[in-house]
Amino acid sequence: METPHYVAARVQRALAEDERTTELGIRVDVRGEEVYLRGQVSCDERRHQIENVAREAAPGLRLHNEITLVEVREPGEEEHL
Amino acid sequence: MRELRIAAVADIHLGEDLRGHYRKKIEGIERRADVLLVGGDLTRHGTIPEGRVVAEELSGLPIPVVAVLGNHDYHSDRNQEIIDLLRDAGIIVLDDEGAVVSIDGVRLGVAGGKGFGGGFAGKCASEFGEPETKAFVRHTKEIAERWRRALKDLDADHKIVLSHYSPVKDTLMGEPPEIYPFLGSYMLAEAADAEGADLFIHGHAHAGTEKGVTPGGIRVRNVALPVIKHAYTVYCLNGDHC
Ligand SMILES: [Fe+2]
Ligand SMILES: [Fe+2]
Repeated sequence: METPHYVAARVQRALAEDERTTELGIRVDVRGEEVYLRGQVSCDERRHQIENVAREAAPGLRLHNEITLVEVREPGEEEHL
Repeated sequence: MRELRIAAVADIHLGEDLRGHYRKKIEGIERRADVLLVGGDLTRHGTIPEGRVVAEELSGLPIPVVAVLGNHDYHSDRNQEIIDLLRDAGIIVLDDEGAVVSIDGVRLGVAGGKGFGGGFAGKCASEFGEPETKAFVRHTKEIAERWRRALKDLDADHKIVLSHYSPVKDTLMGEPPEIYPFLGSYMLAEAADAEGADLFIHGHAHAGTEKGVTPGGIRVRNVALPVIKHAYTVYCLNGDHC
């Protein structure tokens, strides 16, 4: 089995460099056969793209897409400086 | 003097899949703020079509919009063209320079640009060794020097630094410490502290925290969209009353 550490590094690089994702802010953790993706993105389509790219970079491993959608809310209270 | 309401956001990372979405969230911004500052990573890949989406989303607002680019906006080597098309759309784009906008007679000076990394005092890269390392550090040093001069030359009642990269570690909390040198540089803070400013706005650190302060006491705010979780945040600079 490939060392989890290097799998995580490869997935992370794929997410950053693949044109479909160019996502730098996703945390990739590999434990045994399990790959965990964590972070926040702004739409569901991107969430799925990230999963696809990660799957290609880590074939045969079980992927857990724990990425959350960040909902852009209307502006809240202002801060007085 | 009248209070200034500064709306700020960064890392909107627009693409054609998000066309129209962000615009909807900023409709009516003129009732809440006097100016909108956008701290880079406007696009995902820095392509021209993405740049056009940004121009559409941010142009034609009733308040001035001041923006800088981020590292993502450089990815396709079309950064200069993106700057040009944003400027053609009426957006003020700072590329290591300053600009003054007048709001009911109050002059707000904004200086800055993309910025760059290098790390923070005690744990930073230095201009030593391989040419690649030296070039990395020198790039930040030159940017910081241009910002210092731009700040100095601003003739304004209030001054804000607008950057993509962070000037301090405070607002990176939540990011893995190993990547801090790629998230910002103390040299950016040093430039601001040397000339003085009311506020330092940045983005880039999606997993960071909103609030920090430079060693010289300038308030720092990380307004990356995943951090503030709102279309923008409004900061009020002291007037006589609120
Ligand atoms: Fe970003
Ligand atoms: Fe960035």
